Amino acid sequence: MDILIDILLALLSVYLAFRCMLAPKLSKAVFVFFAFGLTLALAWIRLGAVDVAIAEAAIASGFMGVLLLDSLRDFSLTFSKNHNVIEVKPNNSVEVKNRSELFPKIGLGIGLLLFLLISLEAVWNIPEGGGLTALAGSKISESGVEHPVTAVLLNYRAYDTWLEIGVILMGLLAIFAAGGIKQYRKAGITPSQDPILRQAILIFIPVLFLFGAFLLYFGKMGPGGAFQAAVMWGAIGILLHLGGWPVFTEIPRRLRLLMLTAGLGFFLFLGLIFMTTGGALFEYPPAYAGLLILMIETFGAVSIAAALTAIFAFLTK
Amino acid sequence: MINFPTSSFPALLVALPIFLAILSLIFRINRRAIIGLWGSFLIGILALVSFIEVIQKGTVIHILGGWEPPLGILLRMDPLSAVFIGLTATIGVFISLYTWWYFRAREASKGRFPLFWPLWFFLWAGLNGLFLSNDLFNLYVTIEIITICAVGLAVLSGEKNALKSGLRYLLAAIAGSMAYLFGVALIYGSTGTLDLEHLSEVLKPGKTTNFALIIITLGLMIKKAAFPFHFWLPPAHSAALAPVSALLSALVVKGAFYMMLRLWTEVFEVSLTFAAGQLIGIAGAAAVLWGSWQALLQTNFKLLVAHSSVAQMGYLLMMFPLLIIAPGISSDSANWLSPAWTAGIFQVISHAFAKSSLFLSAGIIIMALGHDRIESLRDLVAWMPMTAMAIGIAGVSLIGLPPSGGFMAKWMLLKGVFLSGQWWWAPAILLGSLLTAGYVFMLLRLAFAPSREINHFRSVPKSLQICALILALGSFLIVIPAENLIQFLEGSESFGSGIQSIVKGGRYGNE
Repeated sequence: MDILIDILLALLSVYLAFRCMLAPKLSKAVFVFFAFGLTLALAWIRLGAVDVAIAEAAIASGFMGVLLLDSLRDFSLTFSKNHNVIEVKPNNSVEVKNRSELFPKIGLGIGLLLFLLISLEAVWNIPEGGGLTALAGSKISESGVEHPVTAVLLNYRAYDTWLEIGVILMGLLAIFAAGGIKQYRKAGITPSQDPILRQAILIFIPVLFLFGAFLLYFGKMGPGGAFQAAVMWGAIGILLHLGGWPVFTEIPRRLRLLMLTAGLGFFLFLGLIFMTTGGALFEYPPAYAGLLILMIETFGAVSIAAALTAIFAFLTK
Repeated sequence: MINFPTSSFPALLVALPIFLAILSLIFRINRRAIIGLWGSFLIGILALVSFIEVIQKGTVIHILGGWEPPLGILLRMDPLSAVFIGLTATIGVFISLYTWWYFRAREASKGRFPLFWPLWFFLWAGLNGLFLSNDLFNLYVTIEIITICAVGLAVLSGEKNALKSGLRYLLAAIAGSMAYLFGVALIYGSTGTLDLEHLSEVLKPGKTTNFALIIITLGLMIKKAAFPFHFWLPPAHSAALAPVSALLSALVVKGAFYMMLRLWTEVFEVSLTFAAGQLIGIAGAAAVLWGSWQALLQTNFKLLVAHSSVAQMGYLLMMFPLLIIAPGISSDSANWLSPAWTAGIFQVISHAFAKSSLFLSAGIIIMALGHDRIESLRDLVAWMPMTAMAIGIAGVSLIGLPPSGGFMAKWMLLKGVFLSGQWWWAPAILLGSLLTAGYVFMLLRLAFAPSREINHFRSVPKSLQICALILALGSFLIVIPAENLIQFLEGSESFGSGIQSIVKGGRYGNE
């Protein structure tokens, strides 16, 4: 039974990937992309990585989908102004192309197929071994948490996680850089003022907040943690913006920046504090490790949520 | 490995730039530049102190979180990384100084690019982190930081051209990252460790290892714009702001080179074959010839300099075939290893100085002329003697005329090539130098030629010109401590491999 589900998932994800790539319309591609992301999330669950599945479903499918839908709207707005551009190319254009364009494509196709086969063989040859799972498990009592993934992310390899939280902030800065200097211009068109939508958003927000907080705290003993919680909290910011409350752009600049940098900054601050007392960077005393990790995760989640909201607010202005 | 003395400097070298990045984000735009300037000095001083620490104590390590590898991550600062960190700090301080004046001079007409300083500090942290890293996955994280910051900086001007080439840069770099990450996953899957030193002990030759080596090398080749993957570099580097172009060309591409050097000499020794080295060498030689030829054809100064970067990076690749000993030759008789890696290190250093100086000069010229078409350089010597001198000196170092750092690099490379009997690299090296001389003298000829118009140059602050000139002079000054630098690197005790093992013949050529 299990193997049937696995095969179905594998076929479905490849099929959806092709559909997404070959979709004649952008809107269709975006919707297939949603489905593709959810299939991947299911595949992660089948592989036993629930943490990754939550992140995949929330970020790769949810957040990316929202951004894609938004840019789709921008495209249609741009193209409807000069309506000649929107024409979809006829599907039979493949046959019209001459042979000189076909050969490189065939070559590329064969090359990619070879690459796939070789990589499959390389993956096949990997010996069965747990990696560092056993070692990570044996030291778990000193790490302050009960879930090995959280222990790896926030204690054993805290340095990597710290840098990754930084990467999100850097990505945000890079998006701002690409958008020029016109940061946070006040929105020209206010989004829908539909009272039902606004009411529904107000109902959802506490639920999302609680669920995010639960994921954050649950990360101590099971799948969950800062990144997953951050997506829930980021969704609050995005929903508020959609409902016509652009809270993130309204709050004072200092507070906004503080929210964005709190995760990275607090993580570094704690690390440096224990370094000045003679330890190494990110070395926590085992007795307090659990509490400190929870604090770091909370600040991290706030920062990531703020970054996701900021990306949305910046791109949809 | 734990026997090495512990030091907190490696951790600080990453922590300080990130702290400064956060600080500069929180402050408003006027203060940001001040933080940027003084922060750069602070990092420079820290790098100097760490360098002295490594001279005194030898290799130092920092065990992050107190978790020893393979569970945790360890930062190690050996002489090689100390040299790279010192180079980054030296170039970085001068580029920061230049940027400070550059933005002030532009203030009136155009924006002041509020995001430059935070992105530059993050980039600096990423570079330092990369040079200190001793862990395959951590290397991935640091090179991601470098890529994202570099792309962000490259599109900073917000112009259409920059955005277009920046997007291409991003896509190429991400393809490189994914290839590298796939290789890391294969290695971790088959060995269960990510620590470079453990890997060098437990890695067994086999199909998976070979494939991982190929795909990791492929990813890094894309990242550093080695020959068939160089397409993204010239547009991206030439469309960026002048200080950013200097950073990208002088430092960012060196990150991927450093990774490749580390991984080839310390981890993948078991999988390396003579043919693999030759293949990398051919890519290098092709890059030298193609890049120099393209540079000769350019009519824009910045594009010329950017194409020249492709060529100069090619010289770096040509050191790899020399490091792998052909089957049947005992490693004791391999007396060309020392010249070969000396050539590599000096090429890195002299190229970083010369190329940053050239890009900064390009910024000065754009500021003075409003564009960078080469034919407008006429009479440069009369009106901007310092910039003309900087271009001349940096160009001479690129060609490899004595007594520049570039000469040292190319001479040592030739020496290595002839000692090893791999004479077939020599024509590419010489022809590359000849083509380089072609485009450098083309620039100089115009600079000395009289102009038809009377002073068409707008005035540019002297301080900008001084920065560019000092960097150009730097590419000559580095030959003075050359002897000490080589001793420092060769005498170093690293993790049983690295340069020390290269010089002793290492474990190469066992197959």
